Amino acid sequence: MPQVNIYQEDDIPSPMRRIWHAFADNPFAFAGLWVVCAFILLAVFGPFIAPYSAEAQDPNALLLPPSWDPAGTVDHFLGTDDLGRDIFSRLLHGAHLTFGMALGIVFASLIVGFVIGAISGMMKGLKSSILSHLLDALLSIPSLLMAILVVAVMGPGLSNVFWAVGIALTPQFIRAIHQAVHEELQKEYVTAARLDGANPLQVFWYVIMPNVWDIVIIQTTLGISAAILDIAALGFLNLGAQAPSPEWGAMVSQGMDNLLTAPWTVTIPGVAILCSVLAINLVGDGLRSALSPIKH
Amino acid sequence: MTRYLLRRLNLFLATSLVLILVLFVATSRFPVEHKFALTGIHSPTPEQVAQITADYRLDEGNLSQFTAYLQQRLSGNLGVSATSNQPVFDELVQVLPASFELAGVAAILALLCGIPLGVLASLSKNKITQHSIMAITLTGYSIPVFWLGLTLSLWFGVELGWLPISGQINLLYEIEPVTGFLLIDTLLSDSQYRMSAFTDAVLHIILPAITLAVLPFTVVVRITRTAMLSIMEETYIKAAAARGLQTSKIVIRHALPNALIPVLKNMGLMLGAFSSYAMVVEVIFAWPGVGAWLVSGIYQRDYTVIQGGILSVALIIIFLSILIEVMHTAINPISRKEMYATS
Repeated sequence: MPQVNIYQEDDIPSPMRRIWHAFADNPFAFAGLWVVCAFILLAVFGPFIAPYSAEAQDPNALLLPPSWDPAGTVDHFLGTDDLGRDIFSRLLHGAHLTFGMALGIVFASLIVGFVIGAISGMMKGLKSSILSHLLDALLSIPSLLMAILVVAVMGPGLSNVFWAVGIALTPQFIRAIHQAVHEELQKEYVTAARLDGANPLQVFWYVIMPNVWDIVIIQTTLGISAAILDIAALGFLNLGAQAPSPEWGAMVSQGMDNLLTAPWTVTIPGVAILCSVLAINLVGDGLRSALSPIKH
Repeated sequence: MTRYLLRRLNLFLATSLVLILVLFVATSRFPVEHKFALTGIHSPTPEQVAQITADYRLDEGNLSQFTAYLQQRLSGNLGVSATSNQPVFDELVQVLPASFELAGVAAILALLCGIPLGVLASLSKNKITQHSIMAITLTGYSIPVFWLGLTLSLWFGVELGWLPISGQINLLYEIEPVTGFLLIDTLLSDSQYRMSAFTDAVLHIILPAITLAVLPFTVVVRITRTAMLSIMEETYIKAAAARGLQTSKIVIRHALPNALIPVLKNMGLMLGAFSSYAMVVEVIFAWPGVGAWLVSGIYQRDYTVIQGGILSVALIIIFLSILIEVMHTAINPISRKEMYATS
């Protein structure tokens, strides 16, 4: 029997629901979302569920391999490093340093970038061109150089990573939002809204912004993965988080001394970084294909 | 077009000026004696103090100090390195070619592998091929470069012992620097070990170049794929197919040149991340390039090296990104039409 539609009205899903359905149809992206949620939970609650504290040293268990190795024990699930510190606990304690701080940096620079990008995007002529071109060039200065300059002025430390990565990320947001707003501004529906008598603020918020949000979201996911990699790279080079800190990149650099005898001290924090960035990128990829109007 | 070029030149000059201004402000904030931060001379004699004060016009206003700073830096006076007492400029000239060599080899690797794979991913109808290529690129995009470098050197350098993992060439070979590019210098040198030195240099560059090439490779694959997917839908491709051209000819003659335009554009955008990665790779593989030099400069708080390194690397990147933009405009007629971008 053919399905009969007994209702007069069709249920037309809202744009948000449609995006959500397109996103949820992609199993990889959905798995990525779960992993990201798990990482966020770990970043918040990690220190509470960690079996040991980050600096607790166990002199009886130096360089213990992970538990699946015949020589390993379940007490130290992912093994220990050269000071007998439990790697699993350190990873949990480090989650809010690497992952949580990346989120914080991205949201801070997103707000700054959004304001500046929106203002410069709405402007026309020389002012806008100066802003956008200067930003283009600022964007090309690598984040690591920026970080080195910040470290040279303020000394190494975790708080300076915030500034270094934030300063390096902000131009990306400004540029993306500037370009999106500028592009929308050329379109005719904006002219129509202006002819209807909307003032610039109304044009910006009610007319342009609904079409720019998706770019903001995509840029945010890109920014988070870049921020994690940058924080970890700075930690690895000893310019960011300093030695006893359980930041994941710093853990890799602390494991470097025992790379040959105990490769897991380097491999496991590296895998943690890889997993978090991969999950973010999966979500970002899924969002991008869900948001893009052209379906392949 | 002339007007456009003039504008880009203008942009280059303006950005460089802003960059030097940032460095100037940062230099005055360095937590050391200002004269030391400017010149790198530890305990200057009274004559040197007078000379420095005169050179940098330290007793005048800020603006005057900035112009003096600009003059000194642009005339190639970057001060002396506090650790080696060599002029920073000379050290820079020594380390820059090695970095260019590594970056060049990595970029060529990325393009040579990335473009064909991107085309393949876009043409393939097979779900498994598509998904596996996408999975590889996404992983490559997410992998932390320092970890990748360590893992590769641990595996291929230590466990298997196939490839050397540190430096540019075995120290036994003495190669006279001519161009500074070791791969060329070994071929140019007239010693009898020329070929074995060249092989050794090639073996040394493989691991760092592969590590560095992973990021641009994945980006190139993804961009090529997206561009090819949208271009193969175009009517002129259908017209070419309707005329009976072979698929390979359509791809190479008609689709690929257009697909490469966004690749070029993204290469410009990628320069910053690429050079950050290059610095980390240089540190891991002890590659004697500008990145390792700069990082050791920051470890030793060698402020003149930091300034000189940041200035040169940032100027090179700004120049290259503007150059790529100009090339993009030159080969892409559509972007020339966007009047608001050029005027």
